[in-house]
Amino acid sequence: MVDLNDPVVRGYLSRLVGDDGLEMIEKMPEGDITDEKIAEETGILLNIVRRTLFILYENKLAVCTRERDSSSGWLTYLWHLDLSDIEHQLEKERKKLLRNLRTRLDFEENNVFYRCPESCLRMVFEEATETEFLCINCGEDLVFEDNSEMVNAIRKRVDALNIDES
Amino acid sequence: MNMTIEESAFHVIKKKKDGIYQNELWKELEIDSRKCSRIISKLLEEGLVTRESAVSNGSRTYLIKANTQTQPSYEMLLGAHEFSPCAGCRDACQPETCPKLTEWITIIIKNEILSEAQNP
Repeated sequence: MVDLNDPVVRGYLSRLVGDDGLEMIEKMPEGDITDEKIAEETGILLNIVRRTLFILYENKLAVCTRERDSSSGWLTYLWHLDLSDIEHQLEKERKKLLRNLRTRLDFEENNVFYRCPESCLRMVFEEATETEFLCINCGEDLVFEDNSEMVNAIRKRVDALNIDES
Repeated sequence: MNMTIEESAFHVIKKKKDGIYQNELWKELEIDSRKCSRIISKLLEEGLVTRESAVSNGSRTYLIKANTQTQPSYEMLLGAHEFSPCAGCRDACQPETCPKLTEWITIIIKNEILSEAQNP
């Protein structure tokens, strides 16, 4: 039971397959069906349909079956969507994001940052000393960056994502 | 997408915050009580609902409630309206300097500032 209007589900699918792909999912006909037929019935370009199916398949949200025509020996690939496992995928995404945010938090907390006022780049203190606190792009003097807002935001998010892990 | 009978039952149960009596549920689903109790057993097995004895209209029945706690919320994967940038990402993973992750965190910070400004 997957609610395609749920903002989390929508956000996830749209991140994976883009807005075209999401449109394909919404218009997807029932039953096992070939990619060409999906394109025909949904009005979405065949290459987008194929790309979407492939990504969904990789994320275990689409199922593909192969049929061989006994006379010609040709293979036909039939598809249907199975979003029932989406929660499992969301759980994987939660863990992945949590892991990456923790790594980032660690990096932000244990370094001092300097950035170019023209927003060319951002450097840690050690790198900045090597360039004598000058931007290697535009030559501007680097300025100290207070990253406490960033640290707080990441920490808050890490705590929130971590709640279910008990 | 067609819903199975278990799914539509769960849907009905979920809508009632204070729960629904089992003898109301099967009437609402237009199925018989035997089938209904089989569905409930299945939902109980999956941990989607809880059941307690109750009396409704003078007859003994069960009060069925949806188990909201067993469904973890994944809302925290959304920063403002943007889903986690790590989903489906094929770049070499370097969270320390990843521009996509930086942008996502920046969106969260901006959104926080915005909502604080609106509700001081």
